[in-house]
Amino acid sequence: MRPEPEAATAAYVAHHFPDLRTQEHAARLGMWLFLATELLLFGGLFTAYSVYRYLYPATFAEASQHLSVAAGTINTIVLITSSLTVALAHHYAHHGKGRRAALLLLVTLGFAVVFLLIKAWEWSHDFHEGLLPGRYFHSTELTANGAPMFFTLYFLLTGLHGLHVVIGMTVLAVLMVLCWLGTYDHGYSTPVELGGMYWHLVDLVWIFLYPLLYLI
Amino acid sequence: MATTHPPHAEHEQGPAAMRYWVVWVLLLVGTFLTFGLSRVHLPSPFHLLVALAIASGKSMLVVLFFMHLWDHPGANRLVFATSIFFIALLVGLVVMDNATRYDLLNPARGATLQMEPPGPDLLTPRGPPEPSRRLDTPGVEEGTGPSR
Amino acid sequence: MSQSLDTTPPSSADEPAYNPRNYLNAEAGAMSWLLTRDHKRIGIMYLVLTSVSFFLGGFFALLVRIELLTPGPTIMNAMTYNRMFTLHGVVMIFLFMIPAIPGIFGNFFLPLMIGARDVAFPKLNLLSVYLYLIGAVIALYGMIHGGADTGWTFYTPYSTTTVTKVVPILLGAFVLGFSSIVTGLNFIVTIHTLRAPGLIWMRLPLFAWSIYATSIIQILATPVLGITLLMVAVEHAFGFGIFDPARGGDPILFQHMFWFYSHPAVYIMVLPAMAVISEVVCASARKNIFGYKAVAFSSLGIAFVGFFTWGHHLFTSGQSTLDAGIFGILSMFVGIFTAIKVFNWTATLYKGAVVFTTWFAYFCGFLFFLVFGGMTGIALATVSLDVHWQDTYFVVAHFHFIMVGGVIMAWLAALHYWWPKMFGKMYPERWGIVGAMTIIFGFNATFIPQFLLGNYGMPRRYYSYPERFWPLNVASTAGASLLGFGFLLIAVYLLWSLKWGKVASANPWHSRGFEWDTLSPPPVENFLSDPIYTHPPHDYTEVPSGAAEVKHAT
Repeated sequence: MRPEPEAATAAYVAHHFPDLRTQEHAARLGMWLFLATELLLFGGLFTAYSVYRYLYPATFAEASQHLSVAAGTINTIVLITSSLTVALAHHYAHHGKGRRAALLLLVTLGFAVVFLLIKAWEWSHDFHEGLLPGRYFHSTELTANGAPMFFTLYFLLTGLHGLHVVIGMTVLAVLMVLCWLGTYDHGYSTPVELGGMYWHLVDLVWIFLYPLLYLI
Repeated sequence: MATTHPPHAEHEQGPAAMRYWVVWVLLLVGTFLTFGLSRVHLPSPFHLLVALAIASGKSMLVVLFFMHLWDHPGANRLVFATSIFFIALLVGLVVMDNATRYDLLNPARGATLQMEPPGPDLLTPRGPPEPSRRLDTPGVEEGTGPSR
Repeated sequence: MSQSLDTTPPSSADEPAYNPRNYLNAEAGAMSWLLTRDHKRIGIMYLVLTSVSFFLGGFFALLVRIELLTPGPTIMNAMTYNRMFTLHGVVMIFLFMIPAIPGIFGNFFLPLMIGARDVAFPKLNLLSVYLYLIGAVIALYGMIHGGADTGWTFYTPYSTTTVTKVVPILLGAFVLGFSSIVTGLNFIVTIHTLRAPGLIWMRLPLFAWSIYATSIIQILATPVLGITLLMVAVEHAFGFGIFDPARGGDPILFQHMFWFYSHPAVYIMVLPAMAVISEVVCASARKNIFGYKAVAFSSLGIAFVGFFTWGHHLFTSGQSTLDAGIFGILSMFVGIFTAIKVFNWTATLYKGAVVFTTWFAYFCGFLFFLVFGGMTGIALATVSLDVHWQDTYFVVAHFHFIMVGGVIMAWLAALHYWWPKMFGKMYPERWGIVGAMTIIFGFNATFIPQFLLGNYGMPRRYYSYPERFWPLNVASTAGASLLGFGFLLIAVYLLWSLKWGKVASANPWHSRGFEWDTLSPPPVENFLSDPIYTHPPHDYTEVPSGAAEVKHAT
C-alpha cells in the first residue's frame, strides 16, 4: 500500500467512504456506468442509422456527397486534439500544476468552440440547400426515397452530439475555473478526470459519426 | 508549486505525458487513413468494414489511454465491454430482421418520393398522408382516408 | 453470536426497545426531509410517492374495469377509454413498478445489509427522488390535459400522428428514466465499493445480488427507451418521419427499440421482487437458503438473458421469421433461471420451521402466481401459439399474473416484513392475514377470467365486446373491486399502526438478515460501531438463545 497523505486529503473523503482511494475508485466506476448509459443512448440512434443505411445504401451514399468532407475531417482533427489537451490537463492537475491544467482546459474549450462553429456553418449550408429533416426536406437534386431519412438521421445524430459538446463545455469551464484557483493541487484531482472522461466520450462518438456520415 | 514535492509524489506518478502525444499522433494517422481509404472506393461491404475497423481502433486508443482503462483493470473494463456488446446485440438483431423479412414489408424503396412542402407551422399535428400520396397503394379510392 | 456487532437484538422475553434516537426524528422540519441525504429517509420518500402513484394507477384500472362491465358504453366513450388504459399502464409501470421496490427497500436496506453508512452517492440519491417528481409532474400535466390514447406502448405511426397530449407523457417518462438510471448506478457502485470488511461477494445477501442485477438492466436498457421516446416526441412535434412509412420509415423499428428496453424492464420489476422473496423465504423457514450460488447467479442470468428476448413482442408485427424463431427460443431460457430460483426457494422451505405470518402468506401467493404466470409466458413464447393469443386478454392476464401476482405480492411481503424495522411498530397481524386473503382471492377472481377471455378470443384494449364475453368480464370486475378493497384495507391498517401499533423490538421475526442487527428504527448512522462480517448471510445454523446484551447509544 502506498503511504496515505492523510492530512492533505482527509478533507476530501466523504463520511461514508473508508478512505480516499475507495472514494476515487467509486467515482470512476460511477462515471463509467454513466458513460455506458450515454453509449446506449447513442446506440439507439446508431440502430436507426444502421437499419436505414441497410435499406437505402445507394441513396445514403449519394446524400453523403452533399456533406462537406473537409468540414467533417477538420472537426475530427479538432476533437481529437481537444481530447489530447484535456488528457494533458488532467495529467497536470494530478501533479499539482493547477494553472497549467486550467490553461489546457481553456485550449480545449477553444477547440470545442471551433467545432461548434464549423458545425453551425455546415448546418446553415444544409438549410440553404433544402437538406432538412423529415417533412422540411425540399431538395431538387436528391429525390430518392431514403434521402430525407439520411438527413433526419444526420441532424439527430449531430444534434444530440452537439448537445453533449455543449454540456461537456460547461463541465470543463467549471473545472477550468476551479483548477486555476488551485482546488485540485493537493492530491485530489478526480473531478478533472471525470470531466475529461465525459469529453473523451464526446470524441469517441464523433470518431464513429465521421466515417458513417461523411465517408460513405 | 511546480518545484515543491506534492504530498502524493511518492506513489504512482501516473502515466507520463508523452504517451498522450503518441496516442494523438496515432489518432491523426487513423483519421487520414480512413479518409484516404474512403477515396479508394473499396467494394461493399469492405468499405464499411474497413471504416468501422479503423474507427474501432481509434476508439480503443482513446478508451485505453486517454480514459485510463489501461491503468484501471477490473469493473470499469467490464462496464465498457458490456455496453459495447449490447449495442452490437441491438444493432445486429434489428438489422437482421430487416434483412431477412419478407421484403415487401420493408419501407418502400426504388420509387421516387413525392415530397410534401413544409407545413404552415411547426406544431400542426400531421394526420396520415392522403391515400393518393401513398407510394405503393395503387387504386385506393379518394375520400376514404382520414382528412388532414 | 455470529456477527461481532455492538447491537444484538434482544430475545422476545425482553421488553421491545424502540430506538428513541432514530433517523425519523434525528432532524425535524420539512427542509430536513427535502434536502436529506440519508438513504433511509429517501426510501421513505419513495414509499410515499410510489404508494400515491399506485393508488392513482389503481384508480384508472378500476375505471377501465367498470367500463367493461357491459358490452357497450357504460360510463365513458371510446376515446376516453383509450386514455384510461393508457394512463393505467403509464402510471403503473413508470411511476410504480419500476421505481418501487428498488427505491423503497433497495435504498433503505442495501446499505444496512452490507454494513455501509450510506449509498455511494447520497446526493445523487436525492436527485433521483427529484427526477422522479419532475417526471411525474410532467406526465401528470399531460394526463390532466386529456392524456394519450396510444396505449403505454406508444406504437408508431399512431403515436406520432395522434392529436392527444402524448408529448408531455413521453417527456415525463424520459425524465423518469433518468431517475431509474441514477438509482441503478448508485446501487452498483455501492455494492462494489462500500461492503464492510469480511463481506466478500459470496457473502452478499441475496437481496443485494438481485438488486445488483436489476441495476445492470437499468443502466443498459433505460437509455434506449430514452432515445426512442425522444425520437417519437420529435417526430410528433416536427414531422421528422423516422418511423413514418410515408417518409420511408419503418414503424417496426420503433417496436424493436421500444421493446429492447421494455422487455428487460419487466425484469427490472421482477428481480427486486425475487430479491425480497429470497430474504423472506429464509426468515420464514428459519433455514439457510438452499443453493446460495444458484440463486445469486440466476439473478445475473435473468438480467443477461432478458436482453435477448424482446422480439417476442413483435411476433405478429411483420418481423422476419428468422428473428421470430430466434427470439422465441431465447425467450424460453429465462424460464430456466426462474425455475432455478423457484426450486431453490421451495427446497429452502423443506423441513423448515415455518410460522404463518402475513408476509409468508404473500410469499405463498407470489410463488403460486409466479409459476402459473411464468408458465403462460413460456407458452406465449411459442410463436405458433402466440399467433392466436397476441393482443388478447391472455397476454393481459399473463403479465398481470407476474406483475400483480408476483411483484405486488412481493412488495406487500416486503412492506410487512420490514415494517417493524422501518418504523419500529408492528402492523396488526390479524388484519394483515385478512388483507392478504382478500388480495389473493380478489386477484384470482380478477385475472383467471381474463385467461379464459383471452383464450376465447377477446382482444385487449377493446372498448366494446360481443355479448358472449359478458359474464367473464363481470366476474373480472367483481374481482378487481375486491382487490381494490384489499389494498385500501392494507393502507388503512398500516397507517393506523404508525400511531397506535404495538412497539416492535429490534428483530421481531428473529431473522438472521444483516439488516436486523441494528435497532428499530435504525439510527441515522445505521450502526453504532463499524460492522465486521464473519458468517454467511441468512445463516440459521446458530440459533440465538437467551437474553443478549444491548448496548444503547448515549
